[in-house]
Amino acid sequence: MAALMNNTAVYDHHADATDQLRETWRSPTGLLGWFKHVNHTKIGVRFIITSLVFFVLGGILALLMRLQLVAPENTLMGPELYNQLFTMHGTTMMFFFAVPAMEGLGIYLVPLMIGTRDMCFPRLNAFGYYVYLFAGITLYVSLFAGLAPDAGWFSYVPLANIEYSPGLGVSFWTTMITFIEISALTAAVELIVTILKQRAPGMSLNKMPLFVWSMLVMSFMIIFAMPTVMAGSVLLALDRTFDMQFFVPAGGGDVLLWQHLFWFFGHPEVYIIAVPALGIISTVISCFTQRDIFAYTAMVLSLVAIGFVSFGLWVHHMFTTGLPQLGLSFFTAASAMIAIPSGVQIFCWIATLWGAKIRPGVPMLFIFGFFVVFVIGGLTGVMVASVPFDMQVHDTYFVVAHLHYVLIGGAVLPFFAALYFWYPKVVGKQMSEGIGKWSFWLIMIGLNLTFMPMHLLGLQGMPRRVYTYLQEMGWGDLNLFVSISALIMGLGFMLTIYNAVVSRKRGQPAGSNPWRAATLEWATASPPESFNHRHLPVVSTLNPLRDFDDKASRPCVAGLRADRREVLITTVVDARPEAVCLLPTPTLWPLLTALSVGFGFLGFMFKPILFVVGFFLTFACIVGWLWPHKPWLNE
Amino acid sequence: MTNTTTDFVVDAAPLTRHVNHRDAPIWWGIVGLILIELSVVAAFTVSYIYLRLMNSDWPPQGVPLPDLVLPSLTLALMLTSCVTMHLSGKYLAKNKVYQFVIFTFLSVGIAIVVLAMRWHQMSALTVRWDEHVYGSLLWTISGFHFTHVVSAVIGTAAIGCFGIAGFFNKKRQIGVVADTLYWNFVAVAWLPFYVVLYLMPRM
Repeated sequence: MAALMNNTAVYDHHADATDQLRETWRSPTGLLGWFKHVNHTKIGVRFIITSLVFFVLGGILALLMRLQLVAPENTLMGPELYNQLFTMHGTTMMFFFAVPAMEGLGIYLVPLMIGTRDMCFPRLNAFGYYVYLFAGITLYVSLFAGLAPDAGWFSYVPLANIEYSPGLGVSFWTTMITFIEISALTAAVELIVTILKQRAPGMSLNKMPLFVWSMLVMSFMIIFAMPTVMAGSVLLALDRTFDMQFFVPAGGGDVLLWQHLFWFFGHPEVYIIAVPALGIISTVISCFTQRDIFAYTAMVLSLVAIGFVSFGLWVHHMFTTGLPQLGLSFFTAASAMIAIPSGVQIFCWIATLWGAKIRPGVPMLFIFGFFVVFVIGGLTGVMVASVPFDMQVHDTYFVVAHLHYVLIGGAVLPFFAALYFWYPKVVGKQMSEGIGKWSFWLIMIGLNLTFMPMHLLGLQGMPRRVYTYLQEMGWGDLNLFVSISALIMGLGFMLTIYNAVVSRKRGQPAGSNPWRAATLEWATASPPESFNHRHLPVVSTLNPLRDFDDKASRPCVAGLRADRREVLITTVVDARPEAVCLLPTPTLWPLLTALSVGFGFLGFMFKPILFVVGFFLTFACIVGWLWPHKPWLNE
Repeated sequence: MTNTTTDFVVDAAPLTRHVNHRDAPIWWGIVGLILIELSVVAAFTVSYIYLRLMNSDWPPQGVPLPDLVLPSLTLALMLTSCVTMHLSGKYLAKNKVYQFVIFTFLSVGIAIVVLAMRWHQMSALTVRWDEHVYGSLLWTISGFHFTHVVSAVIGTAAIGCFGIAGFFNKKRQIGVVADTLYWNFVAVAWLPFYVVLYLMPRM
């Protein structure tokens, strides 16, 4: 055993041991090396940057739509292109921005927050990223080739059936949706196992940061929601490719089955992106008030409750489909019920903020923005949850306004708060406070001026998803106003992205803990070294850093080897140390595997037999990925 | 971290580097995979029941009831293979590598018989997948399960080959534990499919 201990942290604080540890966890350099990265900090940043690229692309599509709607009977584009634009806008924002952005935050932050060196399946992490990237690139190539899907982001049948949507457009959608969900699912499994098995000793479940709780709940929701849309899109793909009859009434199929399968995923999806936002809000509020979040246990329970109840709401997207009245009443009640755990969250935040000395700062501004915008979205939510009202405004701009208030308020604003809050940790520099404030106010003014008038347009009867409207309808002035406002909002978002780019060079050095926060990600350097924490921390309370300040020394773990990638495994509930796990090293196999899977999926669209080729290619890659290295029994 | 002193309160050096039991991260990872796949199984099963309720004629007119003997035999064989896989794991835990390899390949053999039976059955079907949703469901769900059995066979055969090469032993058995867990899922997933595909048309 003594020989083993040479390399451990127990006996030395020498620079040599630190250097060795750094070298062990280092990501390879060079272009080829870039494709081998597996460390969660690298993969997490890639997820976040890629999702922001898709956010900008989705935003550009929205502005193009607004340009078309700027005047009645505009001839800038025809219905074909307009249909592709709104389909791609929705698909991009939901599948290629919101979910990957939240997962990226989790992948980057969770291991740092729970005090470990990496996630449990680092190569799977890299694989998930490449799947996401390839799916996104493929979809946008289809757009530039004029072959983009055009049946809306929820691809309702019969419109999306081969009979009414011939050609490759919707096939791209079904294939890429199935494909990208693989990425969401790998990240979810990864987050769950890392959170359950790799927490710092002493971080029992009741001492876990609320952000980590929110990531855990999100991941479980992904596991139960995403497979349904995968199953659904596979069935649709089979209908389109092999003339199967799942959604074709003439062959005994049923069109409403699609809506059930889609919304059983689609409604939890809203909460899949809102639940991490709740975690962000709790984290930022706790830090900027320097207080514990009021009623931690109630907060955790309400997060879990939101996760459960959100699976009972899907039919409220289907109020106008002629389902039995009694069933509808049930879903109205469930829709109202989710207000209870959501209310618990809001009231606990208010209690935390009450009488506190709130520090100023851009992250906190975005949180206040969340309160305003989300409450407005919630109020219109109560309105559309009632069946008779929904009958009136279904498929009008009222719903467009409602969903944008909810999604921008419930996900985008908290995500931007997170960007400002954790940027110093990731980059080591502060983002500009001044540009941040400009960005915030432009977004707030722009989004309210954009979406508030849409309520009116909807009540006046303007349907969503129309590429133009007649002069006589009298919607021209409001539409012009909305289009100009959308430009202001877009400018606001771009300012933050500009801020993030220039602050890399020009920003003030941040130091390890610029916000004086209390969670473990701030206990290490900014940006973190390849090994995250030099010595893995041991915690005894919910606010480890605040407690460390009071003591002369920090409790740590010793005995992990520096010459290979070792992480500590702890028990699920109490986080007692039980074993040490060896993590794999950087490699090209995740990239090759993602390429093989992508080949199978894309090939299926053109020649179904290519799917089988992709299947066996993938199997070969997985064997290469898992291939053990000799000598096997060296320990 | 640099200017405070560190106080080592946990020593990881004596902890095991071989996590072989059920609580290992990879075990949890496979549980996650199975939960995902179970959600897909549930989606297909519920879709079958939903579409069954939407149609008064099931199977549609002119389509004979599916044969019950071979699918029942498939069910029996699949469940038997769970037992043989379980035994192979037991032998590995006792470090009896030879018996472990034998039982692993025995399970693979049983699964190959299942594949042959399923293939035979599907090729004898008179209903096509593009005639009626009944056929679409039969072909899709059967194909879904067939593919899973193929994956389990290939993966487990690879495990058996590594076993012959001496990779697995008492200390190093987590790969087998994880593979067995997945195998059990593939075998048990046949149960709901058997019920909807072969029993529901008779109800």
